[in-house]
Amino acid sequence: MMSPQAKRQENKILILATETCAYPGADSVGQTHSSYPANTYILRVRAPVLFPESFYIDCFKKGISGIIVMSCGEECPYEGAYKAMAKRLDSVYKKMKAMKLDLKRLRLTAICTVCNRAFLNEVKQMDQLVQELGPPQLMA
Amino acid sequence: MSEMSSDKTTKTDRVGVYICYCGGNISDHVDVEAVRNRVEKMPGVAVARTEMFMCSDPGQEMIIEDLKSGKIDRVVVASCAPSLHETTFRDAIKRAGSNPFIYEHANIREQVSWVHHGDTATNKATVLIASATAKAKRLKPLDPIRVEAKKHTTIIGGGVAGIKTALDIAQTGIEVTLIEKSGILGGQLNHLDRLAPSGEKASDILQEFLDQIVNYKNITIHTNCIIENVTGYVGNFRLDVVTKSDNKKFNIDTGAIVMATGSVSYTPYDGEYGFGRHEQVIVLKDLIHILKENKSSGSVLEVNGKPIKNMVMIHCVGSRQIPGIHKPKENGKLNEYCSRTCCAAMLNASNQIRENFPGTGIYEMYRDIRTYGRGQEALYTQASKNKVVFMRYEADALPEITPSPLPDYPLQVKIKDSLTFNEEMDVPVDLVVLATGIEPDDVSGLASMMKLPIGTDQFLLEVHPKLRPVEFPITGVFLAGTCQAPMDAGEACNAAGAAAVKASALLRKGYIELDPFVAQVDIDKCQGHGACVEACLKEGALELIETTIEGKIHKKARVTAALCLGCGACAAVCPEKAIDINGWALKQYEDMVDAIVSDGFAV
Ligand SMILES: Cc1cc2nc3c(=O)[nH]c(=O)nc-3n(C[C@H](O)[C@H](O)[C@H](O)COP(=O)(O)OP(=O)(O)OC[C@H]3O[C@@H](n4cnc5c(N)ncnc54)[C@H](O)[C@@H]3O)c2cc1C
Ligand code: SF4
Repeated sequence: MMSPQAKRQENKILILATETCAYPGADSVGQTHSSYPANTYILRVRAPVLFPESFYIDCFKKGISGIIVMSCGEECPYEGAYKAMAKRLDSVYKKMKAMKLDLKRLRLTAICTVCNRAFLNEVKQMDQLVQELGPPQLMA
Repeated sequence: MSEMSSDKTTKTDRVGVYICYCGGNISDHVDVEAVRNRVEKMPGVAVARTEMFMCSDPGQEMIIEDLKSGKIDRVVVASCAPSLHETTFRDAIKRAGSNPFIYEHANIREQVSWVHHGDTATNKATVLIASATAKAKRLKPLDPIRVEAKKHTTIIGGGVAGIKTALDIAQTGIEVTLIEKSGILGGQLNHLDRLAPSGEKASDILQEFLDQIVNYKNITIHTNCIIENVTGYVGNFRLDVVTKSDNKKFNIDTGAIVMATGSVSYTPYDGEYGFGRHEQVIVLKDLIHILKENKSSGSVLEVNGKPIKNMVMIHCVGSRQIPGIHKPKENGKLNEYCSRTCCAAMLNASNQIRENFPGTGIYEMYRDIRTYGRGQEALYTQASKNKVVFMRYEADALPEITPSPLPDYPLQVKIKDSLTFNEEMDVPVDLVVLATGIEPDDVSGLASMMKLPIGTDQFLLEVHPKLRPVEFPITGVFLAGTCQAPMDAGEACNAAGAAAVKASALLRKGYIELDPFVAQVDIDKCQGHGACVEACLKEGALELIETTIEGKIHKKARVTAALCLGCGACAAVCPEKAIDINGWALKQYEDMVDAIVSDGFAV
């Protein structure tokens, strides 16, 4: 196990990637051996509509610097899920605003199974942002 | 299947973690043994092992033994992308007599070693395994869900691959519909004559297939049809089809789909090796057509009434293109692949010409001769015996076609022949044949409707070239033939046979077992608020029912598993956290985030 000293104060980016689109999209980036920042942690999700508002806020409280929701977009295999999730994120944004969290820390985007360039772009932009902002200063 | 049950799983502390070297693919960048040492000490991890190839028999055996001996009751494998081997390891767990859903995957190849290097890669692999372990601790045994499946397959594209797939599926008794956009079946084979390497007539092979098709009452053929939309899911797809002639629309309900949309022959751009500028420059397909229609019996081949004393065949036109040397298409793409069929087809044509028209001299100008298949090398040997002259050009010195200064010849081909130490030669000719390769037919519309991946070479992309060569990541959709890659007719038929078996096996039982990742209610926690029912996206999947507990009537949520999409819209809104998705629970994600933020400490 890493020693506590080695515990990096990293600006961590959480990526919620849909199993039918964005997650294989991230694999496709791997297949081309294109490098991207390593502070990215990709969680395979069926549909991000699973996550309540509190999940996002708790992530920031736990010290996650940025979250990218990589969905299938309007073409989500779960009909209606995308709209419901987008609506949910609107209220997460309201909460973030009230907590004085930079809204750019949470980003919703559509990534397909072969959207390599879009994936790399999103990751790069979020990385630049969190390097600038640092981890959110909230108490868990 | 409809149920109401309580969810009372507690965390296990007997997780087995298995880390793969992937023969260097992972271990070249991730210090696998260092990861193992860290993981072994993580709370809840009973064993942590490494193996050169986890997917190999010894790798799988390791998991089976640990399960059988009771050392572990949850499994995490850290290896390649889950799309490749999740089922492999679930099957191994099944063979150990355990439930396959006690499994979680950590993707440390595609998402670590192939994109990060050094300590960073080792650290990230550790964290991802910690996170997978956190999830695994809350996994529980699950039973698959049954979905009724229509015993019907639709094949898109009526070339030799599509026809062969249709026949092989029909033989198993499953209904087949074959949809062809043109007016006739047969695809490219309609344009070919004697097929390399066997010399059989393409028309004979086609006829044999078509004669067989007639015998199958369970094959329906629609020609001149366009597919406008594809909806649904495995077992229950729906295609909206329209006829080209009278715009008549109809639907096809089908259990599986096979893409057999084939390929087209590359068309040279204006001026490429003089194409379009000199009428004496033609493509391979034209030459094959000429040979097919040729009735003359003289000693010299005649084309358009003119005798061909000398002809040049240039290989690799529109194939094996190199950035910086070849001109990209309008979309900026180059065909960097080998078309695989043109070498043999060219040699086949040369032999026919030299054997029937000995007065016609042939120069074959190649970059490499790729007669890779059984019987193909014999074509090359035969061509040498037939006194075909071989010359070799390098990619950076392409042959040049110009008008000939000699009165008897319209054109000359300049070549720097690397077989004679780069000697420059001018070959006077009456005819130039370009070995134009194979390009996939444009199926971008269908691909985006069905979310089918397309490779950088523009061909349709299978899940894995060896492990799942005729499957798409979309369950129930398969592929066969040259829509996937350049291949000859024999190889296209092989692929068709494989796709047919896969589709038949899938539909054989009339039902399909799907992953049991659906919502489950914890009835003790459920207070009957009904927020979940309101949030549910699928009509009928979730409802509130009244139930009597200890003499009192309570409202409780109830899931109908076969209808539940497993999206989790319900889980997000329950104030009591009384409903969650089996195998993908919110609580598991929270634990994963904890593992990530603590770099693996809080497992
Ligand atoms: C010049 C040349 C020479 C060759 N010589 C040889 C040889 O000597 N020996 C050999 O073994 N092989 C040879 N081949 C290769 C051979 O032609 C192919 O292997 C074979 O034709 C592949 O069959 P297929 O069914 O995959 O594709 P195709 O024959 O291309 O058939 C695909 C069919 O799908 C249809 N289609 C496409 N899109 C749609 C859609 N959206 N909806 C409905 N229908 C659709 C097309 O109209 C077509 O009928 C040669 C190829 C070329 C180009
Ligand atoms: S098969 Fe031969 S001619 Fe065709 S692309 Fe490959 S090497 Fe070139």
